[in-house]
Amino acid sequence: MDETPVRWWLIFLVPLFVLLSFYFLYRTFPIAPAAADPAPLKAEWYTLTTARGEDLANKSMVGNCFICHAYWVPIPRSMENSKPRFAHANITLNHGKNDRCYNCHMISDRNKYVADDGTGIMPQLPELLCSRCHGLIYDDWLNGTHGKWTGMWNPVKKSDRRRYTCTQCHDPHNPAFKYSTLAPPPVWPDKYIRNTGEESNSDPYSNFLIGKEPKESF
Amino acid sequence: MADKHDSKISRRDFIAGSSIAFTTLAATGAALSPLLDARETPGIDEILQKHYRRLTTEDKKTIFARLEAEIDKKYSVKANISDPPPMDGVEFAYVLNIGRCIGCRKCVYACMEENNTSRDPQIQYIRVLKIKQGSIDLDSSSHDYPVSEAADPNYFYMPVQCQQCRNPPCIKVCPVKATWKEKDGVIVIDYNWCIGCRYCEAACPYHARRFNFAKPAIAPEEINPDMGYLSNRVRPMGVMEKCTFCLHRTRVGKYPACHDVCPTGARKFGNLRDPQSEVRKILEKERVYVLKQEVGTLPKFYYVFAK
Ligand code: HEC
Ligand code: HEC
Ligand code: HEC
Ligand code: HEC
Repeated sequence: MDETPVRWWLIFLVPLFVLLSFYFLYRTFPIAPAAADPAPLKAEWYTLTTARGEDLANKSMVGNCFICHAYWVPIPRSMENSKPRFAHANITLNHGKNDRCYNCHMISDRNKYVADDGTGIMPQLPELLCSRCHGLIYDDWLNGTHGKWTGMWNPVKKSDRRRYTCTQCHDPHNPAFKYSTLAPPPVWPDKYIRNTGEESNSDPYSNFLIGKEPKESF
Repeated sequence: MADKHDSKISRRDFIAGSSIAFTTLAATGAALSPLLDARETPGIDEILQKHYRRLTTEDKKTIFARLEAEIDKKYSVKANISDPPPMDGVEFAYVLNIGRCIGCRKCVYACMEENNTSRDPQIQYIRVLKIKQGSIDLDSSSHDYPVSEAADPNYFYMPVQCQQCRNPPCIKVCPVKATWKEKDGVIVIDYNWCIGCRYCEAACPYHARRFNFAKPAIAPEEINPDMGYLSNRVRPMGVMEKCTFCLHRTRVGKYPACHDVCPTGARKFGNLRDPQSEVRKILEKERVYVLKQEVGTLPKFYYVFAK
């Protein structure tokens, strides 16, 4: 009996190893769920829209001004009208000093806009109206600096390029640029994301060793 | 009794020994198990494929057919891989009007949609930095501002993507020459040649390069089947990718996807060598700013402050 020592610790060791082997086996063949397709991107985040695309399409009155103005509202109340009372009460002008309806609309033909010499501007060309007062921006717009072109960057034919006009982005009555389709921030691994406002090189160790380093600025 | 013990292994020893042996086996299995997941084992054609710039037109045809078949197998999408060559007398440049950008991030998602980037883990080529007005202080900028902080008139929004440098650090560090500058000035990557060492990612001062840590996960119905070999074809796992100015679009005359989708018209794209192009007219007239000018990369992506 003395030659065979009692190896009592085996009673712990063997079950431990058995458990370990189960663990490793589990690691080898993990029961992973089938990867589902990631959530699709929302179409509104990448479809082409302009700030007033739908807005313009909903303007039912465009081109129909004659229904009323040719017959029963011929005379302006005053040349300086800026606050319509009845029919166009939904329109509020917020165009800075440009606060008179007849700065832009023609009295004798409401379908048209008025040019500097009192002649009409066809409603299809509102940029000519804006160019009266925003000449510099109009020049930029002609050069492609202001506004937007889509289509081809080296157009051969005129139809290769689509040019957006002023009223597709600005509401003439309230022209400050507004756009409401905003897309969410990235969901990247944390290591890419720096917290806002945190100074770089400012972890406690480097602070202790070399002090605060100046921020890079541009 | 004692003799018997000497000649044979005792039961205890057997149990102890076999449990250790079994555990060792299982542990080896666990250590090697990642290989089971390696679904992207390359075929023999892929291993023997030559560098892009040595491929003949014939080679390209067979390679594109093979890639199309692979995409069909993986995503069941009928893709059409093309490889439009650079145009003569064309050097692409991008101009971005910081004064106009409102930080809506539509370009980011239009780019993802166009370029088949991975949705999970998410890969985006464009980062929109929100910068306090007054100076361009990139350190206090943030690119993960929530939607509610977009379009704030007190901030600049500055989208940053690959700057297509004239003097690109990323191609100098590539140990296998898998990334190079094309004749039209665009830096491209041969995804089949890239070994995924990520040196270029570290070398890029703009953080414009992205690594495919996992097999790109895209819902098949979202895949853009109109693919370019050097630009937006679905990438394999373990390669670098980045903005290529949408080569498959721009080399056939279209604008890049981020340009078309911008609702403000802040993004301008064109041929730098054409004096009539809008980018030339802007660069001649406006105050131009180049990101991290002091690192000497000479980008072809310009920022301007204009109305
Ligand atoms: C439903 C009939 C009707 C239609 C259609 C109509 N108008 Fe009028 N409009 C009126 C009336 C009524 C007034 C006079 C309102 C007032 O005195 O306050 C008016 C006045 C105006 C005025 C001057 C504002 C003022 O306070 O006097 C302008 C400018 C004008 N209309 C432009 C247009 C244009 C442009 C169109 C076409 C898109 C149009 N209207 C279509 C009924 C109409
Ligand atoms: C900056 C020039 C400008 C001024 C000032 C202006 N308009 Fe207009 N208006 C336009 C243009 C351009 C349109 C074309 C439609 C559009 O883009 O919304 C328009 C469209 C309209 C329409 C038809 C579309 C709609 O919104 O229902 C009415 C009615 C109208 N204007 C009335 C008025 C009235 C009334 C005033 C004065 C309070 C006025 N406008 C002042 C430029 C102007
Ligand atoms: C009769 C002259 C006149 C015409 C025509 C005119 N504008 Fe204006 N616009 C002004 C003035 C004046 C201001 C300056 C307002 C201010 O600074 O308070 C202005 C300001 C603006 C602004 C800046 C608004 C802001 O809050 O930042 C925009 C955008 C604009 N106009 C767009 C247009 C568009 C688009 C048209 C053509 C449909 C147009 N304007 C036609 C006189 C005009
Ligand atoms: C693609 C859309 C788009 C088109 C088309 C467009 N604009 Fe603008 N416009 C903008 C944006 C965006 C701004 C800047 C808004 C900001 O800075 O918050 C702006 C700003 C302006 C301003 C204000 C400038 C200032 O100093 O504050 C004026 C004036 C203006 N536009 C006039 C025009 C005129 C005139 C046209 C047509 C010839 C036109 N826009 C066409 C998008 C457009």
